[in-house]
Amino acid sequence: MKKLNLRVRLLIFLILISAAVFITAGVLSWKEASEKVDEFFDTYQIALARRLSTTDWTNITHEMQKISDKLVDDISNAEDEDESIGFAVFSNDGERIFHDGENGRYFPPFGRKGSFGTERIDGEKWRVIRLTSTDNRFIVAVGQELDYRNEIVEDMFEEFMTPWAIGWGVMLLAIILMLTKEFAPLNRLARQLKQRKGDDLSPLDETDIPGEVKPLTGAVNYLLNQTQEMLQREKSFIADSAHELRSPLTALKVQLEVAQMSADDPQKLNNALDKLALGINRAERLVEQLLAFSRIEAGFDSLPGESSPIDWAQIATQIAEDYTPAAQAKNINLALDITGRAPFEHGNPVWAALMLKNMVDNAIKYSPESATVSISIKYNKIKVCNSNTMVDEDKLKHLGQRFYRPAGQKTTGSGLGISIIMKIAALYRCRVAFANTDEGFCVSILPLKD
Amino acid sequence: MRILLIEDDSLIGDGIKTGLENFGFAVDWFRDGNEGHESLLQAQYDAVILDLGLPGRDGLSILKDWRSRGKTEPVLILTARGDVDERIAGLNSGADDYLGKPFSLKEVQARLNALIRRKSGVVVPEINYKGVTFNPQTRKTFYQGKEITLSPKETALLELLLLNRNKVLSKEMIENKIYAWDDEVSSNAVEVHIHHLRKKLHKDIVKTINKIGYIMED
Repeated sequence: MKKLNLRVRLLIFLILISAAVFITAGVLSWKEASEKVDEFFDTYQIALARRLSTTDWTNITHEMQKISDKLVDDISNAEDEDESIGFAVFSNDGERIFHDGENGRYFPPFGRKGSFGTERIDGEKWRVIRLTSTDNRFIVAVGQELDYRNEIVEDMFEEFMTPWAIGWGVMLLAIILMLTKEFAPLNRLARQLKQRKGDDLSPLDETDIPGEVKPLTGAVNYLLNQTQEMLQREKSFIADSAHELRSPLTALKVQLEVAQMSADDPQKLNNALDKLALGINRAERLVEQLLAFSRIEAGFDSLPGESSPIDWAQIATQIAEDYTPAAQAKNINLALDITGRAPFEHGNPVWAALMLKNMVDNAIKYSPESATVSISIKYNKIKVCNSNTMVDEDKLKHLGQRFYRPAGQKTTGSGLGISIIMKIAALYRCRVAFANTDEGFCVSILPLKD
Repeated sequence: MRILLIEDDSLIGDGIKTGLENFGFAVDWFRDGNEGHESLLQAQYDAVILDLGLPGRDGLSILKDWRSRGKTEPVLILTARGDVDERIAGLNSGADDYLGKPFSLKEVQARLNALIRRKSGVVVPEINYKGVTFNPQTRKTFYQGKEITLSPKETALLELLLLNRNKVLSKEMIENKIYAWDDEVSSNAVEVHIHHLRKKLHKDIVKTINKIGYIMED
């Protein structure tokens, strides 16, 4: 079943509740009013009956008219309408001696005595009380038509309930208006969201939003913000990558043109082809690094699951072997010292290797000739240093920025190596430290909490 | 035509230098901003190719400094950034034109020629002189409708003389214009090239002004 919207449900609920309360109040009021009316008229009837019962009815014929008139007058003074009250006086043997001239003539002489009872007289319901006169010779009956009492109760009830009914209506109207007004910001919010373009990630307008909904809009805004940042990172990565590919592409293009126009000069042609090969290597390395980098970024969340023990000694030895030719070409001495614990011993070995490889690659690349590059893993630390190298303090703080390469590098590099090292280190809750030390310039991987 | 090239990327710099030399330009190539900056203050160049991301000194600051010192050589800037702001900043700092990477050598050559033409006031792409037709773009020379094959240096010398008609050009000046610093120049190189031009084209094409230099007179 489709759920009605909150506003309609609230309205229906409020109408039902208030109607129930109103009806209950009405029933109670009705009961109260009829009890009060009964009490009032009963008292009146008893008073009249007492008075009639203390009257001496022996010489009734003489005084009849006088008493009757006076009584009728009395009743008329007490009540505007006297038709509904009737009385009759009987002798002990049931002879009707006197009555009010109207309804009293139908009152039966015998019945319940001393208390009120309901009797059907002349087709109508009457409330009747009978008393024995003080001299025990007569019976007095005083009755009132129940319909009349009911009319009075109805009148009272109506008068009493009308303001309440009006109040109820006003209250409902006010609730409807209030709900509409209170829900307006939500409806506006819904409209805003519906009309939003897919690429619009600006935060939702939170003005006038009720406090109860704020956590929701807050969460949505947080999500929008996260998405925005992610898209931004993605965009700038693409832009940076495109930009970084421009230079190697230019080199390829220019060298290719040189090769094309050097067809008749073998020496120039060979030279251009060598340069072309160099350019292709450079572009290849950049693309590789870009791919590795984007893979790390994409797999950021899935990584910790793929955890296996990392054999650092094996990884470091393999990398040192791989880089021996490059090191020898620059007469660089490669030193290995794997005698202790690494800052992380479990994880994805491929990425651990990629991290160390980038560290060693950078060290060898930016080392002057005949230097020493040392790889050490001990004391919860992975450290790669190249001797005879110092990095300016102002350049230190740019290290690790994506695509940052100090201007004027003659070596081929993507500017992504340190970013990759930092990303992988961060995955395993480690940080990267750069420092100029006695051993030269060192890049270290350390546990975050140290 | 002597060009100052300031570019830190070894492959791009080498390619531009080699390529432009093939087109007959003399190219002095510096990788460092400071060195490049100095060399323009010391030598005569017909145009400058300036990369903006340089070690030592940023390209824009070099350009601003040259202009503030009254240097009017046409400058073509090379930018890797595709964004308009950097190009505008370059043009506002006194650049005459820009090329976004990746570019082709032919584009560099065309832009350089356009800049040099604009500077020397010659607007027509082809230069005609006494039956000689020279196209700076294609580097082709025709004499009375027939194509004449000239070496790059001969072409450069011919272009230099054609662009400076009615002006006497000294031997030193010609050497400066058509040779780069790292070219080996023999003492009679200019005489040899002039001789070749006269032989291949027309013996009166260039007049020798004794002890002063050479001139092409209308």
